[in-house]
Amino acid sequence: MDNKQIRIALAGNPNSGKTTLFNKLTGSNQFVGNWPGVTVEKKEGKLIVDKEVVLTDLPGIYSLSPYTLEEVVARNYLIEEKPDAILNIVDATNLERNLYLTTQLTELGIPVVIALNMMDLVKKAGDSINVKELSRQLGCKIVEISALKGDGVKEAALAAIETAKNGKTVPQHTFSGPVEHALAHIEEVTVHNLPEEQQRWYAIKVFERDEKVMDQLKIPADVRTHIEKDIAAAEKELDDDAESIITNERYVYIGETLKGIYKKKGKGQLSVSDKIDRIVTNRILALPIFAVVMFLVYALAMGKSIADGGIAIGTFLTDWANDVLGGAWLTDGSRAILEGWGAAPWLVGLISDGIFAGVGAVLGFVPQMLVLFLMLCLLEDCGYMARIAFIMDRIFRRFGLSGKSFIPMLVGTGCGIPGVMASRTIENERDRRMTIMTTTFMPCGAKMPIIGLIAGALFGGSTWIAVSAYFIGVAAIVVSGIMLKKTKMFAGDPAPFVMELPAYHLPAWGNVLRGTWERGWSFIKRAGTVIVISSIVIWFLTSFGSVNGTFGMVDALYEDEDLVTDEYVAQVADRMGIPEDEVEPMDDSILARIAQPASVVFKPLGFGDWKPTAATVTGLVAKEEVVANFGIMYAYDDQEGEEELEENGDQIWDRVADDFNAFSGGHGKLAAFAFMIFNLLCAPCFAAIGAIKREMNSPKWTWFAIAYQCGFAWVIAFIVWQVGRLFAGGMNIVGLVLALVMLALLCWQLFKPYKEAQKLTVK
Amino acid sequence: MMPLVLADTGEEAVIKRVGGSTEMKKHLEDMGFVAGGTVTVLNTIGGNLIVKIKESRVAISKEMAGKIMI
Repeated sequence: MDNKQIRIALAGNPNSGKTTLFNKLTGSNQFVGNWPGVTVEKKEGKLIVDKEVVLTDLPGIYSLSPYTLEEVVARNYLIEEKPDAILNIVDATNLERNLYLTTQLTELGIPVVIALNMMDLVKKAGDSINVKELSRQLGCKIVEISALKGDGVKEAALAAIETAKNGKTVPQHTFSGPVEHALAHIEEVTVHNLPEEQQRWYAIKVFERDEKVMDQLKIPADVRTHIEKDIAAAEKELDDDAESIITNERYVYIGETLKGIYKKKGKGQLSVSDKIDRIVTNRILALPIFAVVMFLVYALAMGKSIADGGIAIGTFLTDWANDVLGGAWLTDGSRAILEGWGAAPWLVGLISDGIFAGVGAVLGFVPQMLVLFLMLCLLEDCGYMARIAFIMDRIFRRFGLSGKSFIPMLVGTGCGIPGVMASRTIENERDRRMTIMTTTFMPCGAKMPIIGLIAGALFGGSTWIAVSAYFIGVAAIVVSGIMLKKTKMFAGDPAPFVMELPAYHLPAWGNVLRGTWERGWSFIKRAGTVIVISSIVIWFLTSFGSVNGTFGMVDALYEDEDLVTDEYVAQVADRMGIPEDEVEPMDDSILARIAQPASVVFKPLGFGDWKPTAATVTGLVAKEEVVANFGIMYAYDDQEGEEELEENGDQIWDRVADDFNAFSGGHGKLAAFAFMIFNLLCAPCFAAIGAIKREMNSPKWTWFAIAYQCGFAWVIAFIVWQVGRLFAGGMNIVGLVLALVMLALLCWQLFKPYKEAQKLTVK
Repeated sequence: MMPLVLADTGEEAVIKRVGGSTEMKKHLEDMGFVAGGTVTVLNTIGGNLIVKIKESRVAISKEMAGKIMI
C-alpha cells in the first residue's frame, strides 16, 4: 500500500451536492448544474489535502442497477477499477432514498465513508439525526459536512484517506430468510472463485437476474437452472419478483434503522419549493410563464439593442464590439500601425484582412453569447430548468420526443456540443438517438453570426430573420421527430417521463458566473485557435492563385497588363459564369478554383457560386468560419483604390448583397435565405460531429445522423428556393415540379398513419 | 386500489403495488416508489404529476403514474 497511489471514488444521488464537494476537495472548477444528471462522465482530480490521492467524481445515481447509462458507468468503475475507498455523499434532507444507495455501496467490499451533506438545513428545519448511532448501524464512518459552505470537507477527505489505508466496511443489513437462503446457494455455486469481499454483491446481482452480471460471470446452463430454482422459490414465498424483493427489503431496513435516529419536527407542511411549483407548474399558468421567461431571455440577449430603445444588453454590447472593437480598432488600427511600420503588403493583408477580419467577425458575438449563457445558467441554477423539461413533456410527446429532449435543445442554443452531451440523461436509447440527431438543428451561438450577416446584408437588419431561424430550427426538430418516428428504426412510444425536481434556491452567483464563463470561454478559445488557423488558410487560398500561368498574389498579378489580357479575362468570365466586367482578381484564387466546380451541388438551391460554397464547406470546421470567411472574401480593397476599406461591416454587407443578387439573377434575398437555411440545418461543425460520434457510440449511426442532417437541409433549401421563385418570378419548371414532389413526400411521411412496430429493431 | 393518476392533490397515499416492465419498475423503485411507502400528489398538469416521494419532488408522466397503484 505504501507506494501505491490511493484512489477514492465520490458517489451519491443526483443533485446531492456531489460536484460541489468535488470542487471543494480538489480545487477544480467544474460547473455545478441544478438538474439531475449533470455529471455524465467521471472526472478525476487530486485532493488538496493530499496531492497523492486521486478523487474520481462518478455520475449521480440512485442505485447500482444496469438500467441507466450513469448507473452502468458508475458501477463498472467501482467493480472493475476497485478504488481504495468510496466517499458516499448523502443528502441529509432526503436520508431514506440516499441511504438506499449506501446499502448497495457497502456490499461492494470497498471501504465506505459517508459525507452527510446539508446537515445545516436539517437542523434549521428543527429536525435531528443521531449521527453516531447511524454510523454504528451502517458500519461506516460518517462526517457531517456542508459542501456549499465548505464546512467539514477537509475532515471528510482525511477520513476517506484513513479508511482507504486500513478501513473495512462490512454490510450490516441482511435480507429476509428465503432471500438469504438463496444468496447462500448462489455464493456457493457461482461466485466462490471471486475475491471474497465482492462475493456478496455478485450474489445479490445474480439473485436479481442482472443480465450484465450474468453475462460477465458466464454461468453454465446447468448451474443457471439450479439457482433459478432457488430464486423462484424465494419469489414464490415472498410473492414478488426478485428485484423488487431486494429493493423493498432495503427500504424496509432503512426505515427500521431510521426510526430511533431521525426525528422530524414539522410534518406535512408545504415547503417554499412546493409553493413555487404550485404556480410555476400550474396547469393554466405553466406555459404562459414559460413563454414570458423565454421571451425575456432572448429579448435581453438578442433582441433590440438598448441603443435603439429595446432591452437587449447583449445586442448593444455586440454592436459595439463589431463596429468599434472589431472594425475600427482591430482591422483598421492594425492596418494603420503595420503600414506605418512599412510592413510588406502581403503581411498587412495577412494580419489585418486575414486574422483580424476573420477573428474579429467572430469575437464580436462574444458579449451577446455571454449574456445568453448567463441567463440560461441562472435558470438552471435556481431550479427552473428541470421544471421546463416537465412542462414541455406533454408537448414533445406529440412528436415522439420526451420532455427531457428539451434540455439538450435549450443548451444547444448556446452550443451544440454540450447540447448533444446533455442528451445522455435520456434513458431510452431511441429517444436519445433522435435527440442527438435533431439537437443541432437549433441555431447555436456560432450560427448566430450567419443569421446576423444574412439579416444585415440582405434584409435591412430585420428581426424577423432571427425569429424565423429559431422557428425553422424548432420546426425542423418537430418535422424530423414525426417523420423519423414513423420509420422502423425509431418506432415505439417515447420513454415514460420520470425526473427528480431539485429544490428551488437563490442563484449562487459564483456558480452561475463560473458556468457562464466556462461556456463563453470555450467559444473564445475556439476563436483563438481553430479560427485563427483557418482564417490564415482561407486568406492564403483567397489571396494567392495562378493568373494566366503565373503563380503569386492575385491582386498584384492583376496589375500586370501582359498577364491579364482581354482574351484571358473572357476565359475567366466564361469559367466562373459571370460577365467580363465583373471579373475580379479573387476569381483566380486557389479557393475560387476549388470551390467553383463544387458549387454545382448548391446550384439548385440558388447559391451555386464559389464564395458561399467555400463558406459553407469551411463552416464544417466551425460555423463561425462561415462569417469569418465572408469577412475575408469580401474584405478586398476596391480595385481602383477609390474605396478604401473603412467601415468594415457595412461595406462587406453591401458587397455580400450585390454578390448574392448578381449570381442569383436578382433573387438575392431568396438565395440568401436558402443559404441560411442550409447552413442552419446541415451537419454541424467537426467538434459537434465528434460529440455526436461519442454519444451515438457507433459509426453507422453517426454517418446516418450526418447524412440525414445534410439531406434534410438540402431538401428544405431546395424547396424554399424553387417554390419561392414561383412568387418572386423566374421559376424553373423542372425544379418546381421536383420541389413539389419532395414536399409531397415530406407531407406523406408526416401525415401517414402511425403504425406501432411489433418489435424493437434497435438494439 | 387505484392508479396514482386518480389520487387527489395534496392527499397522502400509501403505495400498494408498482407495475410495468421490469426496467420501468426497477427505476421507479430505485427512486423510492416502493410498496408500503407514502406518496403525495403535489400538482398535475395535462395528466402528468409532480409528487412528493420520500423527501423529494419527482415529476412523473401519466403513463408511469398509471403503473403505480395506491
